[in-house]
Amino acid sequence: MSKPLVFIAFAALFVLGLLPLVMMTSGLSLGDLTALVEPRRISLLERTFALGLGAAAIALVLGLPFGFLVARTDVPGAALLRPLGAVPLFLPTLLLAVAWAPLTELRGGLAATLILGLSTFPLVALFSARAFERIDAAREEAALLAGGFMAALRMELPLVLPAALAGTSVAFAFAVNDYATPDYVSSVGPKFNVYADEVFATWGQLQEPGRALASALPLILMTLLTLIPALAMRRRGSLATLDSTFRSPAPLALGPWRLPALLFCLLPLTLGVFIPLGRMFFEAATGPALVADGSFTIPNALAALQRSFGLAIERARGDLLNSILFAVGAGLVAVPLGLIIGHAIERGSRRLGRAIEVVALIPLAMPAVLFGIGAIVLWSRPLTADLYDSPTMAVLLFAGRFLPFAVLLLAGAVAAMDRRLEEAAALVGERPARRLVTIVAPGIFGSLAGAFVLIFVFAMRELDAAILVPAANHTAMLRLFNGVHFDRDEYVAALSLLIVFTILLPGLLWTLFSRRRLAILP
Amino acid sequence: MKSPLRFAAALLIAATVVSCSSDADVVLYCALDQVHAESLIARFEQETGLTVRAEFDVEANKTIGLVSRIRAESAATRCDVFWNNEIANTVALGDEGLLAPYASPSAKDIPAQFRSKDDLWTGFAARARILIVNTDLADPSEIHGMADLIDPKWAGKAGMARPLTGTTLTHATALYSVLGEDAAREYLQTVKRLNDEGKLSLTSGNATLMKQVSTGQIAFGWTDTDDFNVALEKGEPVAAVYPDQNGVGTMVIPNSVSMIKNAPHEDAAKRLIDFILSEDVERTLAFSRSAQIPVRASVERPAHVKSAADFKVMAVDFATVGAELPARHEELKTLFLD
Repeated sequence: MSKPLVFIAFAALFVLGLLPLVMMTSGLSLGDLTALVEPRRISLLERTFALGLGAAAIALVLGLPFGFLVARTDVPGAALLRPLGAVPLFLPTLLLAVAWAPLTELRGGLAATLILGLSTFPLVALFSARAFERIDAAREEAALLAGGFMAALRMELPLVLPAALAGTSVAFAFAVNDYATPDYVSSVGPKFNVYADEVFATWGQLQEPGRALASALPLILMTLLTLIPALAMRRRGSLATLDSTFRSPAPLALGPWRLPALLFCLLPLTLGVFIPLGRMFFEAATGPALVADGSFTIPNALAALQRSFGLAIERARGDLLNSILFAVGAGLVAVPLGLIIGHAIERGSRRLGRAIEVVALIPLAMPAVLFGIGAIVLWSRPLTADLYDSPTMAVLLFAGRFLPFAVLLLAGAVAAMDRRLEEAAALVGERPARRLVTIVAPGIFGSLAGAFVLIFVFAMRELDAAILVPAANHTAMLRLFNGVHFDRDEYVAALSLLIVFTILLPGLLWTLFSRRRLAILP
Repeated sequence: MKSPLRFAAALLIAATVVSCSSDADVVLYCALDQVHAESLIARFEQETGLTVRAEFDVEANKTIGLVSRIRAESAATRCDVFWNNEIANTVALGDEGLLAPYASPSAKDIPAQFRSKDDLWTGFAARARILIVNTDLADPSEIHGMADLIDPKWAGKAGMARPLTGTTLTHATALYSVLGEDAAREYLQTVKRLNDEGKLSLTSGNATLMKQVSTGQIAFGWTDTDDFNVALEKGEPVAAVYPDQNGVGTMVIPNSVSMIKNAPHEDAAKRLIDFILSEDVERTLAFSRSAQIPVRASVERPAHVKSAADFKVMAVDFATVGAELPARHEELKTLFLD
């Protein structure tokens, strides 16, 4: 691997992803750390942990069978169900909460757990689906011959479980860091406080940055401690069954169970996609008002939809374009860096690679508000004032925060590549950088596209870090969250749908027009 | 593969070059909601020919984002003017030495209680902390003040925002000096206990509270007049009760404007502050959806916007509230976040 390139990429990871945290450690004192053990905070941590476990359990219960059914069986519409199954992950969780709140009396911790479980089940489904696909046909055929369908399942489950648990761990990490959903669903009745509340409230009064940073450490540690085993399980679960004699297994016939299986697959999609998006369309069409005054007809609803979307486009066009520009820019910065770092992790020293993989997780494990403040302290200086004020700052902010997605995904993709191809190119004198571009990149093009799409999605969704850094202020998500409180419901619903559509667009286009599957898993 | 990579690199370089060209004559950090402030900023630009770069907070973040940002940027100040939609955090920034004095000529007729003694900030266009009542669920004449929130008669039907941010934090902090230390603490502890028992709702902010009342999930609760007016304009079945008219009075929280220390564009900043503190802006804010209450009696206002002379205003020393804010926030965090 080209040493200068690797050096530049690691320097970029350090500056964009890690230095914001380093900048915040200067005010940290022992007193700030000892305050962490007060019973109130421990109680918040316990509740947050329970919420994470609950959400992760739901994600596992829904995601593992879903992944199996869409990847390995003849369930009707599997090809469509599989990409649809990823959609809840890409919807901001607060939108799910806002859509569900008027439809149910359920509030508090249980509501938060259900919504977060529903939102994160795609993680388990995606990890599991890929692991099920990597069961060697020969092993499965032998199990089928020996004991039929159930015997095959018994053989496959232990092989798939590490990957499913890796997805579950990531679901846990997502759930414990969510602030908006528990808050929103406990606006009526007893408040369901979580540890992210503590982080947010402490950052609210930033006279003592050391204490503010200390408040975030338990959440950072909880997230890292969850993701590190997930990395190990991912390695075992997703790659163990692939070798040179690998043959893809044929779809399993469900027989009379096809319809129940389809209904099972439709359950999380209905709860996590169709109902929330349907509710938004209903509100964008001023449905509640039309129903209330008895004038709900299709022409009236369509006319209202036209007005709502017209208003949303008129008001938010600039912010939507900014969001797209920032998200595309972040992808263009992070994907090449992720390719170089990911390749270095897999092809360099094994022990060092594992350590770097963990360090690369840190930007993602940091609460977004901490990352945002750290970025301000880092970049708001006379020397970098022009950069800080420019939209490039927003691109660098998002690239730094979501670089871990690219690193982990592309490290996984490189690991699955036959290294003999690179060795052969080296033997004929190809330089390392050229090998990366001409051999590695084409071989993992689906993963490169997947990394870009993931970064695009999360940069489009980002609110907490964006709110703090001036350059990232004029985005569609910020306009939406202002609108949620002060604008008419139909405008907010139309804007929400526009954002959702924009978030899903790159993945949708790829799915429709590319022959290769979009790889969004490490 | 080479072509896409080259294309991506070219796109990135082009975006960087284009993005580095933005500049403005004055930088405004504005906690007043974007929907209310944008037209005023446009008018200033039109009248003066100066360009304003305005950065806004979102409702979910209250003033926290901008205040945190001003603190974090103090090594290389980029903000010229801070337009806060409340006052306590502005006072706190002044106490930390992050504001510069400026006695705006536009502020000369603003009552002294809304002006900093050392010209670090000036208050204007206030919001009152009122009780928003869903008239389908409760008779506004039966609701009189803060005691009703904890009255068993209204168990499960009342609510307020958690007093950890924004005007609710300022309000709760003021209660300590208005009611007395023990009485305020007991009141807030009762609020927390009732929430634990499911008898009083706590939202993340006033706008959420307003929505809960508007949609009939609860009958009434504390919010700000601007949030109330949004519900009123939407045609929701709501009424406003100015609380505690026979007691401590209704808290009024003004917007505040200040110049940041080492502001990069001092002259333009002063012109912007003069504009923001003008009678015309107070009048516009009174007639806007935010229905702000002018602090100057002479300023014209619509019929649905009360004057501060129309009701009993809670006597609050904002300098004290600002100074006490960090300690009270810590206490309230301990009480409400467990």
